[in-house]
Amino acid sequence: MMASEIADHLMGTCASLKHFDAYMFGSTLHGVGQDIDILIVGPGGDLLAQLKKEIHCAGESLPLHTLYMQPSEERHTQFVAREKCIPLAQLASSGSWLSRTET
Amino acid sequence: MNWQVRYALASFAKDGASTAEHVGGDLIKIMTRDRPDVLAAITTAETIDQATATHYREQVEGLDFLCGYRTQCIWEGGAIQYLEENHVGWGSFGTLGSAALKGDANSAPHKVYKFSDRLLRQYGRIAKVDREFDRIHRVTLHGGATFRIGMIADYEPTADEVRSLWARFGPVDIVWNINPNGTPQPEAAKAGRELGCEVMKWDELKDRLSKI
Repeated sequence: MMASEIADHLMGTCASLKHFDAYMFGSTLHGVGQDIDILIVGPGGDLLAQLKKEIHCAGESLPLHTLYMQPSEERHTQFVAREKCIPLAQLASSGSWLSRTET
Repeated sequence: MNWQVRYALASFAKDGASTAEHVGGDLIKIMTRDRPDVLAAITTAETIDQATATHYREQVEGLDFLCGYRTQCIWEGGAIQYLEENHVGWGSFGTLGSAALKGDANSAPHKVYKFSDRLLRQYGRIAKVDREFDRIHRVTLHGGATFRIGMIADYEPTADEVRSLWARFGPVDIVWNINPNGTPQPEAAKAGRELGCEVMKWDELKDRLSKI
């Protein structure tokens, strides 16, 4: 499954993602990785609890590794810039520029 | 072939230091030059308890290593003790790859928690260590005081990781950021205070234990 297909899958199955900024980072962007690194930035509370349930279901047959950050944590760490995170929405609409991974 | 085995084989093929082949089911064989072959089971279980560990060991003759493929895989203390007593290595996929290269797969523990577990056991003021989970240790000091310590290995522990640790494992006294280069975020410390625990690094933990 390509990174773009993974992004499609997540965005299609996790309705609560619309409340968050969601990114992919790490080795899956460039081919085979041991796991699929996802960053979620946004609110806590019930919205986050619901999103976690959806991500858990979406990752039934995928090695998802999801990091959840509050917006302030992302600002402190500059995680998106530092790890060259790509928005899932951008990946889902791109399709072909990333290499293929095995699933 | 199941998905975790496909990922495991693809990762070994990409890395190139060892070669790996599918044996059947969850089993793969890893071959490394001048090192013993490794028979490993790759499981997607989110929690590995003693029953799971026993099942794999009894079903797989010659099992060297049990690998929890998911990054978030949790190992219960009973499973860890059982596997170690029966000379089966255990841990993450990264642990498996390293152990195959070192040639010690059937004695290797999860490398993320290996050194922090050892630090607690070797610290002179601690009389007893009960490992409840891979990352949850109850330590008893010589004076009788006990602390329940939860470990977070991430480089920058977040508030969500502190809350998730508490929600999954129950109350802890201390959240220990075991990454030597880690820096807990202020939000993580705040979350800890709200829950009733402190988030700290090894030097602070050692200092805390020495003052009891």
